[in-house]
Amino acid sequence: MTDAIVLDRVRKNFGDFVAVNDISLRVPRGSIYGFLGPNGAGKTTTIRMMMSIFYPDSGSINILGEPNSEVIKDRLGYLPEEKGLYKNMKAGDLVAYFGRLKGMSKADARAKGNELLERFGLGEWINAKCKALSKGMGQKVQILATLMHDPELVILDEPFSGLDPVNTEVVRDIILDMKRAGKTVIFSTHVMEHAEQICDHVVLINKGRVLLDGPITKVRAVGGSTIQLDYDGDGSVLKTLTGVTRVNDAGKHAEFVLAPNYDADHLLQQIVGKVKVRRFDTREASLHEIFVRSVGSDTTVRGE
Amino acid sequence: MRKSLLVAQREIMEQLKTKGFWIGIFLFPVIIVLSVAGPVYLERAKSIRAYAVQDSSGWLAEAVEREAAVADTRRLLLEAQRREMTKQDVDKLPPVLAALAPVMAKLPPSQLDSAARVLALGDSAAATPLADANRTTVLAVREEYRAWFDTASASTLRAVSSAPSRVKYRKVPATGDLNRQVRDAELFAYFEIGRDPVKDNSGLTFVSRNLTDDDLKDWYEGIATELVRKRRLAQEGISAQTASWLNAETQFTQRTVSESGEQAAVGMKDKLRQNAPMVFVYILWIAIFSITQGLLMSTIEEKSTRISEVLLSSVSPVQLMAGKIMGVAGTGLMMILTWVLTALLATKYVPAMLGAPAGQSDFSSLLTDPILLASFVVYFLLGYLLYAAILIGIGSVVNTIQEAQALMMPVMMTLMLPLLAMVPIGRDPNGTFAKVMSFIPTFTPFVMMNRAAGPPTVLEYVGTTLLMVAAIAFTLWASAKIFRIGILMTGKPPKMREIVSWVRTPSGMVPGRREE
Repeated sequence: MTDAIVLDRVRKNFGDFVAVNDISLRVPRGSIYGFLGPNGAGKTTTIRMMMSIFYPDSGSINILGEPNSEVIKDRLGYLPEEKGLYKNMKAGDLVAYFGRLKGMSKADARAKGNELLERFGLGEWINAKCKALSKGMGQKVQILATLMHDPELVILDEPFSGLDPVNTEVVRDIILDMKRAGKTVIFSTHVMEHAEQICDHVVLINKGRVLLDGPITKVRAVGGSTIQLDYDGDGSVLKTLTGVTRVNDAGKHAEFVLAPNYDADHLLQQIVGKVKVRRFDTREASLHEIFVRSVGSDTTVRGE
Repeated sequence: MRKSLLVAQREIMEQLKTKGFWIGIFLFPVIIVLSVAGPVYLERAKSIRAYAVQDSSGWLAEAVEREAAVADTRRLLLEAQRREMTKQDVDKLPPVLAALAPVMAKLPPSQLDSAARVLALGDSAAATPLADANRTTVLAVREEYRAWFDTASASTLRAVSSAPSRVKYRKVPATGDLNRQVRDAELFAYFEIGRDPVKDNSGLTFVSRNLTDDDLKDWYEGIATELVRKRRLAQEGISAQTASWLNAETQFTQRTVSESGEQAAVGMKDKLRQNAPMVFVYILWIAIFSITQGLLMSTIEEKSTRISEVLLSSVSPVQLMAGKIMGVAGTGLMMILTWVLTALLATKYVPAMLGAPAGQSDFSSLLTDPILLASFVVYFLLGYLLYAAILIGIGSVVNTIQEAQALMMPVMMTLMLPLLAMVPIGRDPNGTFAKVMSFIPTFTPFVMMNRAAGPPTVLEYVGTTLLMVAAIAFTLWASAKIFRIGILMTGKPPKMREIVSWVRTPSGMVPGRREE
């Protein structure tokens, strides 16, 4: 099966600033592909080039087997990071309008839009102006507008930002449904848990370069194992331990990367009595750890 | 193209939902209707002013009344004559005037006064100059006319002509305490006439509490002056002919030269034609100004709410820009067509609806002048396109209306110039200044409209239009380049130098600014 997206040494400069520095990657068809990276890494610029909003200065982009992505715009769906709606348009009119811009007929767009809004619990808002919607509802409306025309490939830039847990679950289900239907989903996020939970593939970008790229299992294997601790009490002591190269402390949960020649027993002995331990085990490194480690060292690691 | 049309369609629907559009579309017609209907209505609403006269001369007050009746009759006869000659609304005249109308149409202008005297005063001696057939008719109906005229109500008279004094003033007998009556507003005013007005003005007073409206005083003075002068002439043994010859002013008759190069009379329409372009310039200016503002607003909305990026994933920047410009042009055309239509209907029908006599059709005929109208629509579209291209470029680089204002300043200044130059250009439509201004594309639509009375040569029409089209093409091209970069940009608006550099970079490249 051909890849949904192939980027070959794609480069984009903004004046003297290199936003995207010779990025090459392949997005397999039917996969959920995570675009990870810190702010300013070049994620949005890369995505905009995939959507032919920008054009690369050099290198080539091939989308759904088509080198000229202008031609296949109607087969793509795009949810930008900055989300907005026409405030004075009715929700039903808005999704229908975006559907029609993607080539749907007036009647189809209207019917599909209403059906989607009904299905996602926004039925009573079809005739409400968008300015009356809450932020979460507005974001759902916008995601639905992106999916109106049943695109083969969807690019979602930070789809979970600003959503409550219930709506996060709704959006996650939408993404999983698309995968089941054989579509390709690319989404970018800062939240590693989201990527960990649903991605088949991830790519980690920093300063316009690919740091890590591959199936999630392979990428996680790169990180080796770490110690996971659930605890109660004052976590400040965790920073002072010996035999530890790094602690990712989240307040109730901490992840330790052990220094060479130290083991878990040594760590546990230091912790006991200082905080209340609820769980202590050795596991595969979290994506978060891999992210922090890679961005910190900024050396290209290939997980193939 | 399909996508641009979709964008245009949405733009129109959205503009139709804004209050500004409906205010724009209705405010102007309301102003037009009010300005036409207002004076007619005000004139009618003015109550008839009662006045009294204390006459110590024993003749002047009565003579004034007689002359006033003659003057009123003359006006009524003139109107009957006009209707008979234009075959308009003759059947709406009161029967006695309708009967007189055919005679009036045949009467030489010099004899109109005699006919009026016969009818108003029953003075059969005045009928002598009339031709036999006319005299017979006039003498036959004079009793009937007197009966009708003495009892006719103000509204009956006004339906014929708005001018007769009887519609405005009414003499009441001078009885009781006149000062008190004036104070209590029972009387508008009273006149006092001295013992010998022929000698001098001593004892002539006009007593009223309204010190601003001199209409009644002026009207009365006018008639009294004539009567007193006649007596003075008689006293000095000067004939009326000699007197009027002595009094006659030296006048030049205004004439113009027609298209075929011959001398021709100047009509009302010609005068209107000279001034109408200025009205059109105003309307054109307001239309272009308000419509392009709408375009600016909607561009800023899309940018500030970040919808533009979603749109750009479905349409190209050029499609989006074209769609927006077309959509707003659609609403603009709707607006100006409504304006022109109401102006047409208002000038044609409103006065008649309010009971004023018809006859102001000169203005409405001018409005239906196809060349003037067509050039108005064409110049609207050309002017709109040029300013739309500029404003959509500005809208795409700013995030808020406040930021837009700074960039709008030079555009506003440019737009003000043709308004300031309007009167000088109207006076000298083919002067060097007007010609030079016509060839500056930002002024072309206004100045050429302004010069319509000139009119400019065909060469100038073609030349300025070509230049304008070239300017529009260039501006749209530059604006599209600015738009595709600006619409996605966030943060502080760019400096002019930066914008110029965007125009100069080839499409697809994004110069000098970090995006994330």
